[in-house]
Amino acid sequence: MKPSRFAYPVLGILALFVLLPMAGLVAVGSFGADPAELAFWQSKYIRRVLVFSLWQALLSSFLSVFLALLVARALAHRGDFMLRNLLLKFFGLPLVVPSVVAVMGIVSVYGSGGWIPLGSKLYGLNGILLAHLFFNLPLAVRLLLPVWQSIPAQQWQMGGQLGFTGWQQWRFLEWPALRESLPGVALLVFMLCLTSFAVVLTLGGGPRSTTLEVAIYQSLRFDFDPPRAVVLALLQLSLCALVAWISSRFQRLPAVEITLSNATLRTSGQLLNTSIIVIAAVFVGMPLLAMMIDAVNGPLLQVLSNIKLWQSAAFTLLIGLSAATLSVFAGWLLLTTSTDLSLLGQTRKAGWIELAGSIVYVVPPLVIGTGLFVLIAPWVDVFEWAVPIVILINAMMGLPFVIRSLGPSMRQGKMRYHRLCQSLSLTSWNRFRVVDWPLLRKPAGLSAALVAALAMGDLGVIALFGTPDTTTLPLLLYHQLSAYLIPQAAVTAAFLLFFCLLVFWSLETIIGGKSRAQD
Amino acid sequence: MSKIYRLTRAVLFVGLISVSAFAAKPTLTIYTYDSFASDWGPGPKVKTAFEKQCSCILNLVGLEDGVSLLNRLKLEGKNTRADLVLGIDTNLTADARATGLFEPHGMQAKNLSLPQNWNDDTFLPYDYGYFAFVYNKELLKNPPTSLKQLVEDPAAPNILVQDPRTSTPGLGLLLWVKKVYGDEADAAWKKLSRRIVTVSKGWSEAYGLFLKGEAPMVLSYTTSPAYHIIAEQDQRFAAARFSEGHYQQTEVAGLVSVSKLPALGRQFLAFMLSAEFQNIIPTTNWMYPAALDRAELPEAFNGLIDPSPALLFSDTEIAENRKRWVNEWLEVMSD
Repeated sequence: MKPSRFAYPVLGILALFVLLPMAGLVAVGSFGADPAELAFWQSKYIRRVLVFSLWQALLSSFLSVFLALLVARALAHRGDFMLRNLLLKFFGLPLVVPSVVAVMGIVSVYGSGGWIPLGSKLYGLNGILLAHLFFNLPLAVRLLLPVWQSIPAQQWQMGGQLGFTGWQQWRFLEWPALRESLPGVALLVFMLCLTSFAVVLTLGGGPRSTTLEVAIYQSLRFDFDPPRAVVLALLQLSLCALVAWISSRFQRLPAVEITLSNATLRTSGQLLNTSIIVIAAVFVGMPLLAMMIDAVNGPLLQVLSNIKLWQSAAFTLLIGLSAATLSVFAGWLLLTTSTDLSLLGQTRKAGWIELAGSIVYVVPPLVIGTGLFVLIAPWVDVFEWAVPIVILINAMMGLPFVIRSLGPSMRQGKMRYHRLCQSLSLTSWNRFRVVDWPLLRKPAGLSAALVAALAMGDLGVIALFGTPDTTTLPLLLYHQLSAYLIPQAAVTAAFLLFFCLLVFWSLETIIGGKSRAQD
Repeated sequence: MSKIYRLTRAVLFVGLISVSAFAAKPTLTIYTYDSFASDWGPGPKVKTAFEKQCSCILNLVGLEDGVSLLNRLKLEGKNTRADLVLGIDTNLTADARATGLFEPHGMQAKNLSLPQNWNDDTFLPYDYGYFAFVYNKELLKNPPTSLKQLVEDPAAPNILVQDPRTSTPGLGLLLWVKKVYGDEADAAWKKLSRRIVTVSKGWSEAYGLFLKGEAPMVLSYTTSPAYHIIAEQDQRFAAARFSEGHYQQTEVAGLVSVSKLPALGRQFLAFMLSAEFQNIIPTTNWMYPAALDRAELPEAFNGLIDPSPALLFSDTEIAENRKRWVNEWLEVMSD
């Protein structure tokens, strides 16, 4: 078998869209003050920032993934229950909450006047961890849950016959299956925490809590020193590559061909599982509920009857859907090559391709956007290109989500059916239609939903270009916030949430089809 | 081949006609910040009012904030589409002048209502304000009466501030403390830091946290209470008057030298200093208009605290020292 080559053009385009803008920025040069004067101090500053970024990101992602494992396991063992699907849909929501809104939600719950007041203890590592858990725990649950379904029914039965305890089940059935996905999910969460900005700054209590992302923003914005921003972005990229390399050491791809499980697990300890699920739902639900309460107390009708809100919603939807389509397609191309390679035993090369596709996430959109701007501004009218660029950057930012959710299913599909397809001479479209699509539509639905939601909640890229007429919902929200219209902004935020929930649900249902067994 | 040539020529011709049809109404492009251009800012009213008198189209392009305005201009250089830039403050004017992308306004800046004389021949002010700590009168009965008291009194209330690396008010407080404490600013920040609940990325986060009750005081503007009084009929909020005076922020506009519409640009600058524009400012940008008699301000503005004396560094002092001061601040605050 010759491995597919689809990934290479995609990687080429990605490289082009990451490296060229950086080169463009370096070429701009610095208008800033004398760099020599700051060199020593800068390095000390950067060292401190580096250590803090890494520390908070490792801690946040470890906690998120560890707790997500507990929750996902509880959900898998608990089987079907009422509201299960709804719960999973709303676990896709925190991802879209613009950071300033999330901060307000977290503060409503844990602030000094909140439901669980932590007082001034909130500001610092506690606040950062709480916010990162809120964002990432539900995401990791969504990405890890399908692993349980991939454990063959026979194995569960065998475990049952051998009288496995819960621990033995975990050790011999679940853990081996998780080792394929876990490092990737952990890396994704790590990247999300590493690039966290407003949350870290605001809930972190002060400049002690400065991430590299803040330093990059500072270089590019307040100090206008593009080359330094590029150096810092590259630093962030290498840091992430290092962590990716380490995490890939822990990855094990399942060696045997496995069959699909339709078994609903029935295990003991349901009380514990139920409690874990309830706690997780409450933890994720509280800030969301606080946002809803703020919205209901706000001028609902006034905001909802504003035509601008609906125009923004339409525009936001356009961006979300386009980015999702582009991202899922590009991710699929990347994965056809990487899964072929891993089928041929070239797992390391496959891993690098997937990593290259994912890691673009940690290059700040501000750097890519500004760099692209430098490159194209002399040739075209940037304002006319703002929308395609925003879509493109959002699609790039969505790639790691696609790779994480689509990757394992594609690999398993190939492992199970590749030989069968060959013996039946089932190729190209027919194979896609009969074999691949039924297997992939669920994860593809989840990928599209995640990317669309992410793009719809994004503020960074669109704010960069300065659109005179059209705004996205997050941008509208910021306009309201900066005009003192905080109650109105609360309504807009809730509207954005509902809108994203609707899109998330539609995409998962339309692309993913009706639920087969479990998730 | 010749068919294509003729077709192209026809298309070009039609194109030219439509361009010249538009040329009858030139478009004046102004880069400004988002909250100026947004529906709730002065933008829409300014656009309507100016278009009535200029027979032109006013194109307000909103960028994130004053800093990104200037950066955008630096990135675009001589290719910029901006005819005017409106919305950088005097902390940035030295930097902006150094780009060489602005040209003198050539106007008499008289009738200004600023607390200082205006000597800048490149930029003209359109509004100004003062930084202040805003509090809820019902919750805080005895606010500090001076910056020194806020810094030194152990019983002074907790505060929410913004980061000078990412926010204009944040930088304002840094300069305020520097102005009052001079070389002792580091020690003052060290004392003050115990009272700081958090340092937020931007004004919106800090103000939102304040309204949620996270701290009794937030760094904002002396004019913030006017918003609550006029737009929400809410009398609870006030700014604390500090006896050392308040740091001033002045927002300006300037003509871009590569603009092909310099006359129209100057017409806009004149409009900017006219009563029509100036009257829009107080209740949309919530700042003091730079060229309007005090008597013409909305009533709520007259009940605001008297922030004098106005504290201000010159733009060259800031250009020379800003990075160093921010770095010193970081050192103190990160320990």
